[in-house]
Amino acid sequence: MSHPSAIRIFLKTIAARAYPRFVAAYRNRAWLVTETLLPLIGTIAMIYVYRALHAPLRYLGFVVLGGVLLAFWQNVIWAMATQFFWDRGAGNLELFAMAPTSLTAILLGMALGGAYVSLTRAVTILLVASLLFGVGYSLSGLLSALGVFVLTISALYCLGMLLASLFLFYQREAWQLADAMQEPIYFLSGFYFPLRSLGALVGGAGSVIPLALGLDAIRQLVLPGTPQFIPLAWEVLAIVAQIAGYALLSQISLRYLERRAREDARLILRST
Amino acid sequence: MSVAIAQWRGFKAATRLGWEISSNWTQPLIFVIYSVLRPISAAFILVVMYRVISGGAPGTAAYLAFLVSGVAFWSFVQYGFAGLSNGISEDRGEYKMLKYVYTSPAHFYVYLLGRGLAQLASAVASALIVLVVATVALRLPIDPLQVNYPLLLAGSLLALLAVIGMAMAYGLLLLQARDAHGYGELGASVLYVVSGAIFPISVLPGILAAVASLSPLVYWMELIRRSLLGSHAIRMFPALSDADVLLRLLVTTAATLILAHLVFGWADRLARRKGLIDMESNW
Repeated sequence: MSHPSAIRIFLKTIAARAYPRFVAAYRNRAWLVTETLLPLIGTIAMIYVYRALHAPLRYLGFVVLGGVLLAFWQNVIWAMATQFFWDRGAGNLELFAMAPTSLTAILLGMALGGAYVSLTRAVTILLVASLLFGVGYSLSGLLSALGVFVLTISALYCLGMLLASLFLFYQREAWQLADAMQEPIYFLSGFYFPLRSLGALVGGAGSVIPLALGLDAIRQLVLPGTPQFIPLAWEVLAIVAQIAGYALLSQISLRYLERRAREDARLILRST
Repeated sequence: MSVAIAQWRGFKAATRLGWEISSNWTQPLIFVIYSVLRPISAAFILVVMYRVISGGAPGTAAYLAFLVSGVAFWSFVQYGFAGLSNGISEDRGEYKMLKYVYTSPAHFYVYLLGRGLAQLASAVASALIVLVVATVALRLPIDPLQVNYPLLLAGSLLALLAVIGMAMAYGLLLLQARDAHGYGELGASVLYVVSGAIFPISVLPGILAAVASLSPLVYWMELIRRSLLGSHAIRMFPALSDADVLLRLLVTTAATLILAHLVFGWADRLARRKGLIDMESNW
């Protein structure tokens, strides 16, 4: 009997893990509602804050674009970083560990499916919030902005893979940790205001999260007049470096923590 | 054993259970850090947004205090509303104990009240820390010796009753869903928009502003600011006296509790009829 090649198994694993997410994007209506409305309502609340302050219209655009990327961050936290934690609780993680494939392929499948799910939510947020509040964007930078967006999302999901391996070590506190990675990250990444407002030190620290630089670059391209944190080209370079860095780190971390998890019997430890 | 003692025991057990569920994963210090990280960051987000627009112009402390006080006390709604309404679904789906609560001698209301109050400690710690940090860091015009504590306590007590009432009704409604993940937070975020916590409700479109003015949370926010900031408070209802705002809070709280009781009763009957109390759900 011939065995499928390693690369074929790897690719089939990615497709297999991404498939339930593609299907669930529309099948699970309960999640469709929360994944769309939660970031949308948060975005609308912040738009009203700016409206109460009589802010120029481009600030509403800052918030809308922040809301778009917020949908991706929530997906990375709740469906990437914590996913192995949920899988362990459901008894899937031990099956993943026994399967003749790698956890990396499983994570890549999760990322691919998760990015698609988030994209559907993000487009809704962008359209609804922009139309509702009359926010316009510069079309001349749209194509470049899409390029930066793809790079940012790639870096973000590489970070998600790194976090997923780290979360293998969390028990009941995983939920709280994921919860705590919301508003603090929205703040550090400048979701609702120009990153430059945070200053070099805090803004620089926030730039560890790919969203910060990506969001700033996208804003510079489609919302002219955005205060520049660092030049656009540097931001793009930094995001590319983050893709490579987080991908590499996630592999090292995954191997190390998977080995530790096997030794400590954490792959089968029920905590929910 | 008298009925009152049985209810009191049920209340105590529910409060302790609620506290254990929300805090038994960690040490108290870590718990406090996690509890304040989100509201402090939310307050900082608003502060930066305001500073970006105002450009650090003089006389900005009053508006900053408006924003910070709203965010600080929002913890009560976040914990009380989202925490309790999620808790009912968790009791059914995750812990599979809702049916035992129904069959216990304590009234279901008493149990839920205890479960809801358990969240209070986290909310108090969170609100206090946010207020202290923001007052010191931003030099807000909040003087602990000048705070109108009776007004603050009366307003907060009424608002808490309203929040717990709403959460009970909403939580029972969520039993209809097989998968209610995130719906507690969704309900809380809708309340956030119409509560005047981070912007005056006058900026909302007409119909939403009208709906918001029926919510007790708006009057609670107004009372919080008046009691904390006195004459420095930016008022959403400048034409109303403190007593008028308190009266409106009382009336809207009473109306909310009556409505919540009716919705709760209806959702409870429906859940019993459809066999939802011990339904297997997506956990």
